[in-house]
Amino acid sequence: MPTAVVEVAPRKRSKARKAKLLPPEPAREVPGPGERPARLPYLLDLYPAESAAQTRLAPFFEGLREGRFLSTHCRKDGRVLWPPRIVCPVCHTSDLTWVDLPQTGRIYAFSAILAGAPSGLEEELPRVVGLVELDGSPLRIFGRIVGVEWPECRIGMRVRVEPFSLPDGRAYYAFRVVR
Amino acid sequence: MSGPREVAVVGGGLTPFGVRGVTWAELAQEAGEVLFRTVPNLRAADVDSLFVGAAEPERFAFQSHVAPLVAEQMGLAPHRIVQRTELACASGQSAIRSAYAAIRAGLSDIAVAVGVEKMNIPDMAEANSAMACVLDRPWDAAHGLTAPPFFAMVAQRHMLEHGTTDEQLAAVSQKNHRFANANPVAQFYEKKFDREKLLRLPLVAPPLRLGDCSSMTDGAGAVVLAAEDRVSEFTDTPAWIRGSGQYSDFHNLANMGSLTQWSGLVRASREALRSARIGPGDLDFAELHDCFTISEIIEYEAIGFCGPGEGGSFVADGRSDLGGDVVVNPRGGLLGCGHPLGATGIAQAVEVVDQFAHRVDPARQVPDPEWAMVHNLSGSANVHSVMVYERGG
Repeated sequence: MPTAVVEVAPRKRSKARKAKLLPPEPAREVPGPGERPARLPYLLDLYPAESAAQTRLAPFFEGLREGRFLSTHCRKDGRVLWPPRIVCPVCHTSDLTWVDLPQTGRIYAFSAILAGAPSGLEEELPRVVGLVELDGSPLRIFGRIVGVEWPECRIGMRVRVEPFSLPDGRAYYAFRVVR
Repeated sequence: MSGPREVAVVGGGLTPFGVRGVTWAELAQEAGEVLFRTVPNLRAADVDSLFVGAAEPERFAFQSHVAPLVAEQMGLAPHRIVQRTELACASGQSAIRSAYAAIRAGLSDIAVAVGVEKMNIPDMAEANSAMACVLDRPWDAAHGLTAPPFFAMVAQRHMLEHGTTDEQLAAVSQKNHRFANANPVAQFYEKKFDREKLLRLPLVAPPLRLGDCSSMTDGAGAVVLAAEDRVSEFTDTPAWIRGSGQYSDFHNLANMGSLTQWSGLVRASREALRSARIGPGDLDFAELHDCFTISEIIEYEAIGFCGPGEGGSFVADGRSDLGGDVVVNPRGGLLGCGHPLGATGIAQAVEVVDQFAHRVDPARQVPDPEWAMVHNLSGSANVHSVMVYERGG
């Protein structure tokens, strides 16, 4: 059941944390929406298409730029869905609304990629990744974990969502360990 | 016709598995050569249907529409059903399941199921991207998720919750590599791995080391399935398909329940055993999807060979080895044979056929096997596909 989820008031202006590059994120050249690929062909680019011209989930990425971590909530059956969706998988309604998710949580499980990275990530190893239990929410979300070397990483460490920008201007997110 | 027909796998064979100096299409030709050699009574004109298990030919060989390509390479002209089956790591079993369904329904009498995968390409980072997009690409893989870190998290939780150890993981790899040393088509046929060596191999995604992970492999294979009234044309020891179960329950990792108790496999294996009217204790051997050592350990538990959390001691005590409760992966598994995605399910079925015919190396021959299970997981263990075979003749 959804807990600690606050429905987004349309006119509410958040104290925007400016989306910024993660310090450990080396510069990458990935194609942006509608651009010619600079380095990775479109079909090797792992990051999502995010513009309103390409996806109905554009508000998620706009939210990241404003320091928000959103997903969709079904008005009919009350579920908070991850990843964000346009149709509820349970009652099949499209009557969904955007809600703020908790931005803090704890590491539930983690590993580190020491070899075998996909194209574009080869020079970013080791790369710590993990499943994060969001505070007061049933959601357990996977993501990159920054701010810790893998030998020091532990289950239970506190993390918070950290939005960042890709070089082409798209927004994405990681989890940063909070000391 | 009254009621569904019985269906058997009546023969088949494999190309060598490994890092091969051949193209995707050449692997399909090799599969044709080995098929007609291992099933001498098979006439190409009698093959009415063709199912091609191939996970990612677009990614690995820049080739779509591979069913007619395979038909041409193998010299087949299917005239009832011809299609590709894609289910990532279970694509090969998916071809067999589809052929089984078609024959059982009366739409086919003799079908060939083929698996082909060419995974070693000049840029292995691209191959890793191909593996990444098996997962939820924009929401999980974009963070860097591929199979090794996913199964590493599964192993970490299993170790935390049940006290499973590195040595128990290595015991899975050691057993399967030892069987692979008796399987000439295995990628690691000539490579010996003892426990100490496995525990010294480099970490890929902690706690998993290189020896805990199956390989990127090139390989192909093909099997023939026949309707009950045609089976005797091909073999005296058919592998009758008696049970089947499959379950898909999530895609994004957020929607996975327990990392360490695979309810999808519990359901798929129960359904397969129920439809075969046997229990897990009746199985003589099982070809389980050991893409990673931790997978095989959790699979023992989900199928019911042992209780939850007991998988580590089950393998360490030799209960999944020759002379144990059930022989698991006598072929050498994905760990020892390599894992050419679409070909793996075909290779498991070939092992069932060859074990039932008592024609494998004595070092891995299960004594007088009558019942076998084949399992594949795919993706992040979000789909489980299970079949149960009974020896005929």
